[in-house]
Amino acid sequence: MIKADVIIIGGGATGCGIARDLALRGIPHCLIEKGDFAAGTTGACHGLLHSGGRYAVNDPIAARECYDENQILRRIAIKCVEQTGGLFVRLPGDSKRFRELFLRSCGEVGIPTEVISSTKALDLVPNLNPEIEEAIKVPDCSIDPFRLCMLNIRTSQLRNNLIFTRHKVTEIIKSHGRCIGVKATDQSTGEAREIHANIIVNATGAWANMIASLAGCEVPMTLAKGSLVITNHRLTNMVINRLRPPSDGDIIVPNEAVCLAGTTSLAVENPDKIGIEAAEVDTIISEAGRMIPHFNNTRIIRAFSGVRPLLKSQKMDSHEISRGFRIIDHQNGMYSIVGGKLTTFRLMAEKMVDTIMASFNLKRACETAAIPLDGQEELSGYPLSKRLADMKDIVCECELVNRKEVERIINQTGTRNVGDITHRTRLGMGPCQGGFCTFRALGIMNDMSVVSPEQSMAMLRDFLQRRFRGIRYALWGDQLREEQLVEYIYLGILALEKPK
Amino acid sequence: MSVTEYDVIIIGAGVAGLTAGALLASRGFQVALVTAGEPTACLSTGCIDVCSGNHNPLAGIKELPDAHPFHLVPEKTITESLDNFLKAMQEMGIPYTGTLAENRLVLSALGTFKTSCLVPSTMKAAPQDTRDSIHIISFAGLKDFYPGYIISRRPNTEFSVYDAGVASTMGIAAHFEEEDCLERFISWLKGQNVSADRIAFPAVLGLESADKIVKMLALRIGKPVFEIPTIPPSMPGRRLFNALKDYFRKKGGTIYWGWPVSGVEKSGKIIEGVTTASKGRPNSLNGKSFILATGSFVGGGLVAGRETITENIFHLPVHVPGARETWFENDYFSFSHGIGRAGIIVDSSLRPDGSPLENIFVCGGILADTEILKNGCGHGLAIATGQRAAESCMECLR
Repeated sequence: MIKADVIIIGGGATGCGIARDLALRGIPHCLIEKGDFAAGTTGACHGLLHSGGRYAVNDPIAARECYDENQILRRIAIKCVEQTGGLFVRLPGDSKRFRELFLRSCGEVGIPTEVISSTKALDLVPNLNPEIEEAIKVPDCSIDPFRLCMLNIRTSQLRNNLIFTRHKVTEIIKSHGRCIGVKATDQSTGEAREIHANIIVNATGAWANMIASLAGCEVPMTLAKGSLVITNHRLTNMVINRLRPPSDGDIIVPNEAVCLAGTTSLAVENPDKIGIEAAEVDTIISEAGRMIPHFNNTRIIRAFSGVRPLLKSQKMDSHEISRGFRIIDHQNGMYSIVGGKLTTFRLMAEKMVDTIMASFNLKRACETAAIPLDGQEELSGYPLSKRLADMKDIVCECELVNRKEVERIINQTGTRNVGDITHRTRLGMGPCQGGFCTFRALGIMNDMSVVSPEQSMAMLRDFLQRRFRGIRYALWGDQLREEQLVEYIYLGILALEKPK
Repeated sequence: MSVTEYDVIIIGAGVAGLTAGALLASRGFQVALVTAGEPTACLSTGCIDVCSGNHNPLAGIKELPDAHPFHLVPEKTITESLDNFLKAMQEMGIPYTGTLAENRLVLSALGTFKTSCLVPSTMKAAPQDTRDSIHIISFAGLKDFYPGYIISRRPNTEFSVYDAGVASTMGIAAHFEEEDCLERFISWLKGQNVSADRIAFPAVLGLESADKIVKMLALRIGKPVFEIPTIPPSMPGRRLFNALKDYFRKKGGTIYWGWPVSGVEKSGKIIEGVTTASKGRPNSLNGKSFILATGSFVGGGLVAGRETITENIFHLPVHVPGARETWFENDYFSFSHGIGRAGIIVDSSLRPDGSPLENIFVCGGILADTEILKNGCGHGLAIATGQRAAESCMECLR
């Protein structure tokens, strides 16, 4: 049995942020995540570090929080944030009254804006629709959610706190009505662990109600599915928003070598059972195409969905539900933290840990806003020239990941899952979506004896099935060609499976 | 614009187009073949799958679904075309092994067995069961081959790694074409004291001389030696393409390389010529009869948009298997994705159904209802329909 002061369930941005905050305040803790870091909603978002502009009109408090956090994350997470800047573009027919309201609301919240002419906007982003009426510049950024989680958790790891990924919580242990610990199962070995703590934090986002129910509690939430598509290259170096009330397909975010566009918003019941409709993909493409016309014929490499855990509200349209967050004290030693946004994860963590400190009767102020994230000095950051410095043994040609990098991740994390390499290096995130490099990455794991040859075959099969779920809704044009080639490689050349 | 006259214009330099072209050229017709670039054959294993689902490929063809284009080719033409292929490859120095009566097994880079009908001689010594012990030679830095995958499937398998000083498939293949490199390798291999029954290599044993190199290695080491096909770039695929290309030229055919077709000239129901977008100026190639062998999606013969699927040279009607969401099933390994049935539906002379055009014939992967992976019929179908298209052309020209 393991003992800690606090157990955090969930390794998304919120959970990792809480872990870092606890680490900086010297509270021993243990984090349990059923998959990998950022495997849920965090990793399925568009990677936008909000300026707050999007919420200024409907939710000024959330907007202000976003703006403040935006300023903080630019400082502390310099290797996760690309300071792209953002534009809200007004197309012919978009309400002028909304423009006035937008500018006024941003002013009231304190978000700096600059109205620029369409000519100036086209200078900044040449791919923009030349018919735009005007654009409003805001301090949006793009952020890498995977790296953000990895670096937040790094602080906890450096201070010897226990972090269990691929561990699923199966039971909340209670004694005299209080939650005193959890039982968790190692997803790869089946081994069960028991961990005890004074406080349990449920930071599982869309899964919060499921975890709360293990302790006999309830977390009222609305789950809204949001779908996104990824292009094979950057069509813009700035975040592009549509200047209109929040709606489907109103944002394009550049991220590393690609662009993400979204989103949709559809209510769902079960966060584990979400799919994408062809119609959603078409909507996103045609709406994004109104802002950047080239979107209509660019190559889409993947379409995916995430589930937003929103606070329960009477409002029917989830676009209008508050993006604010809430800490629920279940009065039994367990807290649930729900709602919020990737942009405000640090603030959410701060408030959560303030609550924990108060319950422990300890006084130590939050330092997460002042201290830069650990482990950033060794990261290259985006510039391609730095990645090209070592061109030897390239394993993933799309994202320029070499063998040394793959081996480093395997040694560092001891991972037996190829997805973990993807989240840490971007291996397999390019146009072929791992079609070529996964065969190689598993071969390398095999060479290093991290996985048995039998395991690597099973993992290859599993990888191809999961990969297909992400790309099957983006299959036409060149991506379909690529997919047919990959199918031919695995089923024709390699005879991984035979027809039934 | 320059204009050149031919009897037959073939579009596409894959197995189907080159097979059709060689037959026509050998019968004395003036044949031009235009291609945008290298065919997908270069990415293939070089193996000629005819019908992999049945132990006997010829019998297997009869059991294929009614709509399968193999049923449009008379059995005599199928056997003749594959005989022609075997002779042609023998003549070009890359002999093949196998008969239409029995499929063979080829060891894959995952250690599974791939079933095929005619296989390159370099894969002939591949074990046909899991009993024989194998010693695999791998190469330092070669990123597309991992012996561990094979070891997981086969008991009694071991491997050693040779450093050829180059790490790419092409580079290692070129290395083996050099006599002193080959000698250096042989003395290294002798030092490995291999005790296994057979020696396996990823398919990197030379480009032109693979057959000779494999035979020489077997002789010098005193054990059967065979190649394992790799993921692209694939040497056996490239050897196949080179041999077919050279054979076509040897028979008198002309290849216009890197000339994608950009336009078609028609007069009523008759195609008179194609315009190609070549460097410098457009060129017109006039012909009396045309063969479309541009392949499926990977080859670029079929183009999938968000709404539908098109053939963009002659704008022939394409059989589209339903709306976009039905093109793929959820199970990646279903082998029955609707997209596999997309293509051009043709009549028994391989003339496109539903098109008014009279002097065009379609063959190879662009045909509808092939389901190549499910039926295991890739290059075999290309050879048979290539020959059938050539015969139709001859009838048309008479």
